[in-house]
Amino acid sequence: MKFLPFVLKNLLRKKTRLGLTVGSILLPFFVICLLGTFVAMLDSDPSQGRGMYRLAVRHRVSIANVLPASHLEKIRELPGVKAITPFNWFGGRYVDFSAFNVFERFGVDPNAFFGVFDASSIISGSANDWRRDRSGLLVGELLMKKYGWRLGQTVTLVGDIWPGTYTFTIRAVYQGTDEAAVFFDQKVIDETLPARAGRYTMIWVKAESAGAARALIPRINALFENSSSPVRAETEKEFQNNYIALLGNVKLFFRGLAAVIAVVVLLIAANTMALATRERVVELAVLRAIGFPRHILFGLLLGESGLLALLGSTAGLALYLGLFPKLRAFILYSPLAGLAAGLRVYPDVLATAFATTLAVGLLAGLVPALRSARRPIVEGLRQLA
Amino acid sequence: MLGIPLKYNIRNLFVRKVTTGLTVLGIGLVVAVFLCVMSLGEGLTRVFTASGSENNVLVLRQNSQSELQSGISRDQVPLILTLPGVSPDGDGKPLASAELVVVLNLEKRDGGSSNVTIRGIGEKGMKLRPGLTLVEGRWFTPGKSEVVVSRSVSSRFKDCATGQTIKFGAYRWTVVGLFDAGGTAPDSEIWTDVEGMITDFKRGGYSSVLARTAGRAARDQFQAGLAGDPRLALEGKVERKYYDDQTSTAAPIKFLGFFVGIVMAIGACFGAMNTMYAAVAARTREIATLRALGFSRISVLLSFVFESLCLALLGGVLGCLLGTLAVKLALSGVTGTTNFATFSEVVFAFRLTPALLVTGIVFSLVMGFFGGLFPASRAAFTKITDALRQVG
Repeated sequence: MKFLPFVLKNLLRKKTRLGLTVGSILLPFFVICLLGTFVAMLDSDPSQGRGMYRLAVRHRVSIANVLPASHLEKIRELPGVKAITPFNWFGGRYVDFSAFNVFERFGVDPNAFFGVFDASSIISGSANDWRRDRSGLLVGELLMKKYGWRLGQTVTLVGDIWPGTYTFTIRAVYQGTDEAAVFFDQKVIDETLPARAGRYTMIWVKAESAGAARALIPRINALFENSSSPVRAETEKEFQNNYIALLGNVKLFFRGLAAVIAVVVLLIAANTMALATRERVVELAVLRAIGFPRHILFGLLLGESGLLALLGSTAGLALYLGLFPKLRAFILYSPLAGLAAGLRVYPDVLATAFATTLAVGLLAGLVPALRSARRPIVEGLRQLA
Repeated sequence: MLGIPLKYNIRNLFVRKVTTGLTVLGIGLVVAVFLCVMSLGEGLTRVFTASGSENNVLVLRQNSQSELQSGISRDQVPLILTLPGVSPDGDGKPLASAELVVVLNLEKRDGGSSNVTIRGIGEKGMKLRPGLTLVEGRWFTPGKSEVVVSRSVSSRFKDCATGQTIKFGAYRWTVVGLFDAGGTAPDSEIWTDVEGMITDFKRGGYSSVLARTAGRAARDQFQAGLAGDPRLALEGKVERKYYDDQTSTAAPIKFLGFFVGIVMAIGACFGAMNTMYAAVAARTREIATLRALGFSRISVLLSFVFESLCLALLGGVLGCLLGTLAVKLALSGVTGTTNFATFSEVVFAFRLTPALLVTGIVFSLVMGFFGGLFPASRAAFTKITDALRQVG
């Protein structure tokens, strides 16, 4: 510990270099945190552990096939069902088909919606206003911010699966797991297209208990086994996993990227330490000559690189936490908008990134420190000439 | 103005092997990461931009983004085909195919499942897509529940090899052949005959109609005819344009590539700056000597920027090499992701194009330029007397 001021002094000797090195550790650290957050987000349970209570029911062939409304009525009769709503993928477009204007739109039963999605809460407007207005729209908080929408404003969607032009009025804003979606009364679609009324891409069910949910899955599957529209019922978590699996090996890809980036940090830190020790060959030899043993020297240099990594990752952490709200907003406006909805700070991801960077920093100092500690005194002093 | 020989810089790079090596490797890895992400985006983009013909018009229900969202009833088809502009085939019938598109959730060979498009085509369907070749077996016989599968889909999904049977609920289809569409959209599909499929899936009509037109004038005429008939409520999209519009699937991955690439590049640029500052500091006396010999400040500045550019170029070349190796060896197989416009799997391969490699090199040079500029200006503004007085 008594050497700490000495190590600090050495670090501060070249302020430009210190700044640059900290910068070159902090930026990759930032990227690692971001990639880690994406992975954690894909891994996370959308219902925070309550997912077993909620079931998604869809056509067995694929999500693009519709279920008849009679399915919903039959499921409603089953024991253990607490609430049930159609959950109809509307598709369509808002303004245009660009990535910026992609968000999820669903036709639901407003009276049952909050019974099924009980973790969502209204933050402005009211659920009653939404229920009462047939063309009312329930909007996620993120979307409100993204488009600068206000309560009472109208939003026009043009349908493709469900042809037509639909104009909705924003009646309520919710907070929940996915805040980048809009919900409206399924009856609007049914009335616009009477010939295709009562067809849903999905039905969502809230079970009375975890046990009831488990029992419901085989029951629902069996109920429609021989109908013209066989179904697949699954828990919210399973449904999400299947949905993410559609993206392919995204997680593996992100992890691979993060690993390569850690190696880049290693190279940069190692380079800085190699530079620092080369310039100090004579000095280090003098230290040895006046009686400092090898292991102290080794410790000093290793401490220096460790401290450097500590500074870099602490600054990176501060930057990440400080910029997080801005970053989230930035991603919301970017083509990655689909990922912004669930983006939050995951402490364990940050801890892992922090530990990795520190370890990498120490590793980077190992070789230069060893080489310097091992160099014979005479050889070092000879460089003076 | 007399320039400092370039050899001076190049030799200097090799004097400090470790530092040069570490910096080059750092820049190289950043370039390689950038290239890998971008070649993924490129491969995905190619599926869409290379797909479809300029002369084919895809008829969809108005406002449909994809065939999956579209629907065309049986009685609309003759109305569409009699519109002016559609080219006749050799047999006098219009060169057009009414098609049905359904997505199936099939199991992958490596576990998990994904949605695959199964397309029912009319008798002229093949003629409309000349880029397609049969690579194994034979084409399907209509009415016999036979399918042909793209080679890419066959390599990624279970039960999709020639001779095997795809089972799905009550449905059974025998795979009788494999085709290859050169990395375009049909490479993500399974094909069969449309009438059999309509029966199998109990559908009342088609998803789309693909029609050949003789050229721009005929195409415009056909599209205008469709738009002008309010009873139909259909629209005609140029097939090529239809696929172009779906390239937004690749937008997130490209954005991520640029974002990660740029942040990492700034980091690597700092690393290069460190190296160059150290190079300048270690050579203070040398620089002063050069100045005393009569080399101008500008010559010194250019000389060090050049040195930094060389450093970065080495990194860039290494990065291209690493990127090419990674794409050719580790990422050579076909992979897939979901096109959320059609809710079905797009099969594609990583594509590292020459243009991307050039971008990688330019990218590294930019890093080198900024990494070298400040250290070089420090070198250029060294005071000769002070520097010469320094020992060591």
